[in-house]
Amino acid sequence: MTPILSVQGVGKRFGGLHAVSDVSFDMQHGEIFGVIGPNGAGKTTLFNVVAGYFKPTAGKVSFEGEDISGLPSDEIARRGIARTFQAVYNYSKHTVEENLRRSEVIARRHGPVAYFKNRNLAAVADSRRVADFVGLSSLMNNVAGSLAYGQQKILGIGMAMMVSPKLMLMDEPAAGLNSSEKMVIGRLIRKLRDERGIGILIVEHDMPLVMGLCDRILVINQGKPITTGTPAEIKADARVIDAYLGQDYEFA
Amino acid sequence: MKSRYVILAVAVLAVVPWILDNRYFFHIATMATIMIPLAISMNLMLKIGQLSLAQGAFMGLGGYGAALLTMRLGVPPMVSLLTGGLIAAVVAAVFGPIFLRIKGTYFVLLTFSFGEIVNLIMQDWISLTGGNSGLYGIPKFSIFGFRLTAISHYYAMGLIFTAISFGVLWAIERSDIGAIFQSLNENEMVTRSLGGNAIAWRIAAFVLSALIAGIAGGFYAFYLGLLTPDAFGMRTLVDLIVMNTIGGPASVIGPMLGAILIVPLPELLREARQYQLLIYGISLGVFLMFFRQGLVGLLRLDKPGDRP
Repeated sequence: MTPILSVQGVGKRFGGLHAVSDVSFDMQHGEIFGVIGPNGAGKTTLFNVVAGYFKPTAGKVSFEGEDISGLPSDEIARRGIARTFQAVYNYSKHTVEENLRRSEVIARRHGPVAYFKNRNLAAVADSRRVADFVGLSSLMNNVAGSLAYGQQKILGIGMAMMVSPKLMLMDEPAAGLNSSEKMVIGRLIRKLRDERGIGILIVEHDMPLVMGLCDRILVINQGKPITTGTPAEIKADARVIDAYLGQDYEFA
Repeated sequence: MKSRYVILAVAVLAVVPWILDNRYFFHIATMATIMIPLAISMNLMLKIGQLSLAQGAFMGLGGYGAALLTMRLGVPPMVSLLTGGLIAAVVAAVFGPIFLRIKGTYFVLLTFSFGEIVNLIMQDWISLTGGNSGLYGIPKFSIFGFRLTAISHYYAMGLIFTAISFGVLWAIERSDIGAIFQSLNENEMVTRSLGGNAIAWRIAAFVLSALIAGIAGGFYAFYLGLLTPDAFGMRTLVDLIVMNTIGGPASVIGPMLGAILIVPLPELLREARQYQLLIYGISLGVFLMFFRQGLVGLLRLDKPGDRP
């Protein structure tokens, strides 16, 4: 079966700086795949290459067998790759319902031509369904900016779901959350995969979350891949512990 | 205050020239029906977060285009008017994909340079435009054999044009397109991450704003019967910016109110023409410091959630 996402020999150079070089991995449909590495390892650069913010200087990125490297980010979203942000971005003065509805409008009526083609949006129903799915249905009429940080991150996932994605890219979904919020996010990520079959690529610092969620993990350091494997393999890999976590690190 | 009361008040105001039946008053009111659509066309670009200084050039392209089509080729004025607007729209569609990849101050400077270049062409292509001494003898407007001779005819035509421009932009503002524009303006990265085709929407807004400005230019040409390039220069652009600032850019009602206030100003200040720029400056300063949302904000015509 064609992998949902295939990254082949991807490199990104900024002038003389090789932010990422020669990274390759394949993601299967419905897989939760993690990318970890210390600060400055190139995780975010790699994320931005896949999400269409940077054009790779080497290699290629394919989505369902089609080359998407260098496509603009909105084109990538229209093909079925959603993303969430590390920080909280929403229409902060509008309600949760309006945020979801507006996201759906943008996703379905994405350009002037599509706008007139996709007149009949079942938007309200879809916003409700997604709100139920992510667990925000009781907060539909609350203003987004007034929600707790964790709830706003969940809203970000709900908004991304409006793209009807096959793959969701998550930039540090646990950043800034307390431990109970992290558990909620973790459950939601698994639910996205289990119930919607969405493949998930996570770039994350939080070790317990990554180890608990991911089917496989890619470790990168200084822009170069160190190894790819299951959480158990990663935990046992001496190179990872040496290069990335330091001698004394204990996995949670 | 409800927007519809303000619109109703403007509609009532629009009848006043017929009551006064004064030629001079008709002239000011007709100029307002040219400036309102222009101010609205600038407002459309402000909605996507771009200050376009190309509106004067689009007005000029529409004006010279319409006048020359009728004068040189004998095209019926109504067809020329619309073709003039289309010429401006096509130019916007050609340059839009280049200009609209650039944002903020650079976009302002780029559209300003574009406007200056278009203006220089109007000044220097003397065989076509008559240059700075002007293009004279533009025939009267006529539609279906009916020649517009009285000034009140032109005013009526201007009102129709203003009502259509306002109505279209009012509908856009309230539709999902309005929400998409607002989203693009507030956070382009998020909009694009949801699949929103930012560049296509921007080009669409630019083309529509050029179409409106171009038709306004054509109407201006047929109304005055003569054209000079300076009518499409910086002075007009400053007027349009002031109209949007004082009126408030958040709603399309803003530039309309702004134009209604600003257009009569030179006439009201006849005796004190030298103070006109000073009054502009002071009122701009006051609005920018204390009433950032303009009259629209003061009268609460915008939704609170839409205020940046």
